[in-house]
Amino acid sequence: DSHVQYERVGADVTMKCGSMDWDAAVTWMTNGTDIDESHQNGSYLILKKVNLTQSGQYSCYEGSSWHLKYQTSLRVGMPPKEPVLMCRSNNYPKGFYCSWHLPTPTYIPNFFNISVVHGTREMVCEKDTFPKNRCHIRYLQLFSTVKYKVTLTVTNALGKNSTTLTFDEVAIVKPDPPESVVAKPVPNNPRRLEVSWQNPSSWPDPESFPLKFFLRYRPLILDQWQHVELSDGTSHTITDAYAGKEYIIQVAAKDNDIGTWSDWSVAVHATPWTEEPKHLTTEAQITETTSASTSSFMPPPTTKICDKGAVLGS
Amino acid sequence: MAAADSPSATLRRRDLCSRGIRLAGKMRSDVIDLLDTYVERQGLDASASVAVVEGVPAAAVEHWDEQSGTQRLLENLAAYRTFRTLLAQMLEEQREQLGEADAGLGRALAAVLLQVSAFAYHLEELLRLESRGAPSEEEAGPPQPLHLGLFERKLRGLGVLRELAQWAVRSARDLRQLAKPSLGSSSALSTAESP
Repeated sequence: DSHVQYERVGADVTMKCGSMDWDAAVTWMTNGTDIDESHQNGSYLILKKVNLTQSGQYSCYEGSSWHLKYQTSLRVGMPPKEPVLMCRSNNYPKGFYCSWHLPTPTYIPNFFNISVVHGTREMVCEKDTFPKNRCHIRYLQLFSTVKYKVTLTVTNALGKNSTTLTFDEVAIVKPDPPESVVAKPVPNNPRRLEVSWQNPSSWPDPESFPLKFFLRYRPLILDQWQHVELSDGTSHTITDAYAGKEYIIQVAAKDNDIGTWSDWSVAVHATPWTEEPKHLTTEAQITETTSASTSSFMPPPTTKICDKGAVLGS
Repeated sequence: MAAADSPSATLRRRDLCSRGIRLAGKMRSDVIDLLDTYVERQGLDASASVAVVEGVPAAAVEHWDEQSGTQRLLENLAAYRTFRTLLAQMLEEQREQLGEADAGLGRALAAVLLQVSAFAYHLEELLRLESRGAPSEEEAGPPQPLHLGLFERKLRGLGVLRELAQWAVRSARDLRQLAKPSLGSSSALSTAESP
């Protein structure tokens, strides 16, 4: 008979050659290679403190006739550790998703079971085909003070483990980052940059569930970010940029009333408008360019809170 | 009385909605601050789970996105009228229990009570605008004060404030739905429903 045998890393494994007696003459092979007789005790195969490399197919043949008497697929692995579970709503108020992973591999197949309970009601978690370790739950009720309880159980041939999360509806609301971030110089304004972006496409109803935004920007030559929070609108004009310096800009989003900030958006770069150098022809004009002063640095204040309407700076 | 659909009514509704949204936002942050104070002063555990409290309007709602404008307004109004009564009871109990020992909590409760009353009036204004009018106070019917022990009353108060905080979020969402341009027509504020 042939079957799969799971053993834990470090375990001692004994295999019997099917129905053969202890003292019968047999040959053991693994993956087509003879196994040294030092691993045999009579017709039994003894594997001490198995490791991952010893996973494979093991076969036992009767001595003289070479009849296959026993075959097994040995799978060396580990029982599952407590899984890491995360639940998040990036499309509030439609629903939320939960995703999970194991902190360390088990090297053998694992089976996950998730249960989502809201008060006394069991909710359906629709599994994604890909990625496999994720499923979605639709909010049946909104504005509930009753907590959600999500329990994930993982099982494999060597053991079982589980983890539980309990949370409020609002606590897991975290939008995706803003999209289509664009930064442009403003002609004839050496200290301005115009930044615009869009609501994340995964956010279903920005009208009833408006997002507010956090913009951060800095010249590449400095490490210190400047921040500005915007309670509505999807554009902002930076008015205190250093003339001629390339800037890096990112935006984050948050529901106006609940939840946490999104991750930062993809970074975009832009350099404020600079005057075109004049085309010089005479001696005087050449001397004029060599005495041109360089731009001076004045580190601006760092954090500002402003409504879209109130544009700070020059 | 301007027809519910006239441009001026639409503008008036949108103005009332945006002011109501701001009021709901302020009320929510004040209620959350009050919750922190209440939990601390009453010696409760902030993470205590409070079962559904009888007589306290639950903010939880199913098929929220399918509600009509009138339904939203009527449900909101009924809830805030009830909260007005519940908060008045809490204020009374708080004074009896702590007297002037904790004037701070009393003032915070009174401030939220004021905002709840103002918000209820705001909702009545919106309902009047759609020439439907707000249901009279008797229809809502204040909840009868229950005879609870001290700890039960404290837990009940926690439940009231938690639901009120959720209602403030819901109300802002409801008013944003009402303010949507696509919902400007009276069909969004159908007068057929009654609470």
